[in-house]
Amino acid sequence: MRRLFVLVCVAVASALAVATLPAQAPPPAPLTLLSAQGRRPLPVVMVNGGEYLSLDELAAALGLTVRDDRVTGATTVSLRARSAVLTPDRTVVSIQGRLVSLVAPPVRQDGRLLVTPEFVTRVLAVVVDQRVEYRRAGRLLVLGELRVPRVVTRGEFGANAAQITFEVSPATEATVTSAGGQITVTFAADAVDAAIPTVPAQGLLQAIRPADGTPTLTLVTGPRFASHRAATQAIDAGTSRLVIDLVAAGAESLTPSAPAPPSTLPTQAPPTAGAAGAPDPAALPFDPGGTGVRTVVIDPGHGGDANGTEGPGGILEKTVTLQVSRKVKALIESRLGLRVVMTRDDDRTLDQDARAAIANNNRADLFVSIHANAAVRPTVKGAEVYYLSVDRADLEARRRLQDPAQALPQLGGGTRAIELILWETAQLRHLEDSAGLAALVEAALRSRVAMSARPVQQAPFRVLVGANMPAVLVEIGYLSHPEEEKALASDAHQDRVALAIFEAITIFRERREKPAP
Amino acid sequence: MTGRRWLAIAATSVGVLGLGFALFSALGRQLASPTPDAEPPARVSDPTAAVGPRISATLYFVADDGVSLVGVAHDVPLGGTPVAQARALVEAQLATEPVPPLLRAVPKDVTVRGVFLPGRDDAYVDLDGAFVKGLPGGSHNELLAAYAIVSVLTTNLSPVARVQILIDGREVETLAGHVDLREPLRKNEGLIRTP
Repeated sequence: MRRLFVLVCVAVASALAVATLPAQAPPPAPLTLLSAQGRRPLPVVMVNGGEYLSLDELAAALGLTVRDDRVTGATTVSLRARSAVLTPDRTVVSIQGRLVSLVAPPVRQDGRLLVTPEFVTRVLAVVVDQRVEYRRAGRLLVLGELRVPRVVTRGEFGANAAQITFEVSPATEATVTSAGGQITVTFAADAVDAAIPTVPAQGLLQAIRPADGTPTLTLVTGPRFASHRAATQAIDAGTSRLVIDLVAAGAESLTPSAPAPPSTLPTQAPPTAGAAGAPDPAALPFDPGGTGVRTVVIDPGHGGDANGTEGPGGILEKTVTLQVSRKVKALIESRLGLRVVMTRDDDRTLDQDARAAIANNNRADLFVSIHANAAVRPTVKGAEVYYLSVDRADLEARRRLQDPAQALPQLGGGTRAIELILWETAQLRHLEDSAGLAALVEAALRSRVAMSARPVQQAPFRVLVGANMPAVLVEIGYLSHPEEEKALASDAHQDRVALAIFEAITIFRERREKPAP
Repeated sequence: MTGRRWLAIAATSVGVLGLGFALFSALGRQLASPTPDAEPPARVSDPTAAVGPRISATLYFVADDGVSLVGVAHDVPLGGTPVAQARALVEAQLATEPVPPLLRAVPKDVTVRGVFLPGRDDAYVDLDGAFVKGLPGGSHNELLAAYAIVSVLTTNLSPVARVQILIDGREVETLAGHVDLREPLRKNEGLIRTP
C-alpha cells in the first residue's frame, strides 16, 4: 500500500513538473553560408538572447585551421599566413596584430567555441581575405563578390484583387512565370536577401516562399485566384520595383498597378479603412520585415553655383563631395543591397531644405552629408564628423511646440492618424542615434585616414536640422591643406573615405536590427 | 619755528590738497563721460589709436591649433550706451589684427551696418555683404567667424546671451552653406580654447 502511495506521488509530481516547464521556444532557423562554391547551412545556437555559430562549423566551411592554446586559453584561427587570436568571453580580438573590438564576445559552451555573425564579417573575413556580408533579413552570410540584391516585399489586399510589390536594390531584372497555381519570380542574381512576411488570411494568396539555392520567390495562390499581371518600374538608379497584381475569379478588371506615391509625412498609427472606421485586416499592408536600415540618403555638399571651398590647387569641394558620395552609394548598394538615394547626382544647386526633404520624402533611415573643409591656417588637416547641436533652452521650447498627432480624412471615408513633425524639431528625436552614428563614422575613418584635433563635434548645421532620421555631416578633410587637397582628389584616398563611411553604416545597421545584449 | 612759518606751511598744504582734489574731480568726470550713442566712433584699422576713454574687452581670434578660438584682452572704446558699446565691440572684433601666431577669425573690411538690442538677452548684428564674400568657405571657417561675433558680445556685454547675425539688413540661412543663422546663437564654449 505504501509502495502504491509512493508511486502515485511520484507520478503526480512528474506530471506537475512537466506541466510547469516553460514552453520551448522554436529553435532559430539556420544561417546559410553562400559562396561561389554553393550553399551550406550553419546551425544557430542562442546564447544570452543572441545568435551564435559554431567556430568549428565555420572553420570546416571556410577551410580554416583552429588551434587552442591551453596555457593562455586563447584560440588561433588561421588560413595560410593570416590569423586571428580570440579568447572566450573577451570582446577584443587580435587580427594580424591589430586589435578589433566586438559587440559580443565569443563564448565556450558544451566544449564548443561559439562566435557571432559579426565575428564572421569582421574577423574571419580578414583571415580568409574575402568580403563576408551578413544579410540578416535573408539569414545569409555571403562570401565573396556575389550578386545578392535586397528584396523588400509589401502587399495590399482588397475584395477582388491583391497587389504584391517587390522593391529590389540594387536594381535587378526579374522574370515572372505562372504554372500549377504558383507564380514564380526569378531574379537575375546569385541569390536574394528577402525577408518573407506572413500573408494575412484571404482567398487570393496563401504564401510567399523562397526557393533554396535559387534567386527565386514563389507566390502560392489561393482558391479565388484567376489571373495575374506583372509590371516593372524603376524607382531610381539603384532600385527597381516589381508589382504583381492578382485578380479573383469573376472580377471584371484588373486593379491599376501604379503604386501609391510615398507619403511625405510619416504615419504613426496604422491606417484605418471603411466608413465605420473599423480596421479591415485584409486591407492592412503586411509587415515588410525588419525594422532596421533600408534606405540611406547620401548628400554631396554644395553643387551648381555653390562651389563650397576651393583648395590652393583648384580642387572644388562640390566635386570631391560628389565623387566620394558616388563611391559610398556604390558600396552600400553592391555590398548591403540597401536602397541609396543621392540628394544630387550631378552638378546642380540645391538648397538646404531640399536636401532634408529628399531624405524625409524617401523615408530614409540614415542621412549622411559629405563635405570638405577649409581653415585659415593651412597646416590644419584631418577628417571630422558633426551632428546637430541644440541649445537646452531652445530644445525645451521646441518640444512644447510639437503637436503629437492629428487625424486627417482619408479618401473613401474614415480617417488616419498623421504625426505632424515641425521641420525645426525633426532632428531632435534622433540626436542620440546621430551621436552614435557620428562615433561609428569617426572610428571607421580613424583607422583609414588622418583625423583632425576635434574629430567629433556638434554644430548648428542647417542641413541637419530638418532631417527626420539619424543624420551626420562628414568633413572628409581640409582642402586648404595642400597635401590633403591632393589626397582628397585621388581615387585611393576617396576609396578609403568611402569604405569607412560604408563600414560605419554597416555596423549601425547591424546594431539597429539587433541591439547588443 | 615762529607762528608766521607755521601759518605759511598750513596755507601751502591746503593749497596742494585743493589743487589735487580739483584735478581728481576733473579727471573723474572725464572718465565717466560716455561717448554719444548717436555718433559712434568711426571704425579704424587700429582701434588702439582712437582717443577717448576705453575699456578692456576680450576679442576672439583663431588659436595656434587652427581649430579653436582664443580670447585676447584688448582695449576697446567705451560706449555711452549698451548699443554703442555693443557696436564698439563688434567693430573692434572686425578691425583688430591679432598678434601672430594668432589669426583673424573674421574677414577684413567688413562694415557694421547696425547693432540692435531689442530687450531681454538677444542682440542683432547687421553686417554688410563683405562678411559673406570674405569667407574662404568650409564649415570650419564659417563656425569660427560666426562664433567670434557671438562670443565678443556674450562675453563682454553681460545681458547679451544670444546673437543673431544679419547680412545687409536681412536674416540669412547660412553664411556659406553650413551654420544655421535663422535664429540667434549662444556662445559655444566647446569652440573656445583657454589661452
